[in-house]
Amino acid sequence: MVETRVQRVLGGLLATAFALPLLVLVVRAFADRWRAPALLPQDWGMRGIELAFSGQAAEAFWTSLLVAVVTTAVALVLGWPAARVLGERRLKRPAIAFLLLAMPLLVPPYATGAGLTEWFLRLGLVDTVSGIVLAHLVGVLPYVVVVLLSAFGPEVTALEEMGRASGLAPLQRWRWVTLPAVAPTLAAAAFLGFLVSWSQYGSSLAVGGGRPMLPVVMLPFVRSDPQVAAALALLFLAPAIAALALTARAARSPL
Amino acid sequence: MEARGAARLRAERRRALLAAAPALGVLTLLFGGALAGAARTSLVPLGGEPTLDAWRALYGDPAFADSVRFTLQVTLLSTLLSCALAMLVALVMRRRSVVVRALLSLPVPVPHLLVAVAAVLWLAPGGLADRALGGLPLTLVRDDLGLGVVLVYVYKETPFLVLLLLAAMGEALAAREEAAAVHGASQWQRLRWVVWPAVRTPLVVGGIVVAAFVLGAFEVPLTIGPSYPPTLSEFALQATQGDLLAGEGVAAATLLLTAVASTLLAILAVRLAKDAAGG
Repeated sequence: MVETRVQRVLGGLLATAFALPLLVLVVRAFADRWRAPALLPQDWGMRGIELAFSGQAAEAFWTSLLVAVVTTAVALVLGWPAARVLGERRLKRPAIAFLLLAMPLLVPPYATGAGLTEWFLRLGLVDTVSGIVLAHLVGVLPYVVVVLLSAFGPEVTALEEMGRASGLAPLQRWRWVTLPAVAPTLAAAAFLGFLVSWSQYGSSLAVGGGRPMLPVVMLPFVRSDPQVAAALALLFLAPAIAALALTARAARSPL
Repeated sequence: MEARGAARLRAERRRALLAAAPALGVLTLLFGGALAGAARTSLVPLGGEPTLDAWRALYGDPAFADSVRFTLQVTLLSTLLSCALAMLVALVMRRRSVVVRALLSLPVPVPHLLVAVAAVLWLAPGGLADRALGGLPLTLVRDDLGLGVVLVYVYKETPFLVLLLLAAMGEALAAREEAAAVHGASQWQRLRWVVWPAVRTPLVVGGIVVAAFVLGAFEVPLTIGPSYPPTLSEFALQATQGDLLAGEGVAAATLLLTAVASTLLAILAVRLAKDAAGG
């Protein structure tokens, strides 16, 4: 079926309608003076960026980054074997495993975070990086397993069998056969895991109330100083943009 | 021979279970622990005897009733609008180029909070839309109906649903439509009897996921929602800020209710997805 001109214009308009609203963040972040009713700022400048990178917000940025990296790494190590047996359909009752994976994804993170706080208070984990990592793991681990399991199946098993037949030791086989075969999906799982932890608001607030995390620090600025909020939002958006760029590149050169 | 085969099968099952154990065990411990912790907080106040006070307080609080009504209203509106819009967009988009699809899927990895911030910049009084149009016909930021919250969720979740729908509208479906057209089916008949059965289940499962998400709405209404009524998560936060001792129990009870509702939705979604996959 040939696409008509109307359809093409309609498609382009729809796509723009979804992409355009985010551009306002860029303009607002660099607008030192932007009084109504002007459609463009009167003065451009770095005030927002400077404020965003000073004080509590900078600390929050590094804590968020550390927590996201550690949570993703832990989730990948724990999730790999589970993803493998689920992907190869080797579990007897996979429905139970999938339910266990789906529930933490759909229950509000603020609820799980608040529930964990009851125990974390006793264990001295409240307001610590380890406590926040554990709370984030509730949301990150299921995503990592669900994405990673699609990498495993008969193809990977057959490749490994060939590696075994040609005399590769288990560790070599993992390094030179398994890892390259699942690399694209592994990267996708890692990125999604990072993003889920990075965007986490509810559980960070519940478990790490005294330790600033980027989204928690950003929210009050929406009312008090929109320019700083926009600058922090750009910082917050950076991983998503990187993800998009990587996906676009991966789409152009498969594998 | 057969006995040995069965023994090997059992050993293999055990190995598989052992491999899945670390991830599933940690999840059970953390998620189960979280639910148990919330239940305990709601029943046993800090340094006190077990009591049902927190649950009673919820039951008699008109603000809680308002919060339930508001949360359900926002959830229902967001879910229905996202599903309807996603269906329309998917039908228009199914033969679009990669670039257009990438633009469309841009909001998927963007955090909800960020979309809410951008929405405030556009829609607040004196915001960009206000300036460009010389006044907005309705209030969308901190409005009593929560329309701003609905708008943010529709913007965030529609592309996610579109991706699900497009995945279900593959080459095989196009071939079946072609066949139906050859047999003289009109465009409407093709939509009703060929396309709709293929996309119904992904749309419903996706809709349930969206509903569960909105049910726990927290940072979005904090940014763009009204100060009253609050969503259930906001209600819980306000409880902890209001009364330091009893508030924790009330908050835990509220959050436990949202957790149970979301869990029921998760069970429903997994069952539907399983049925669609053929058992």
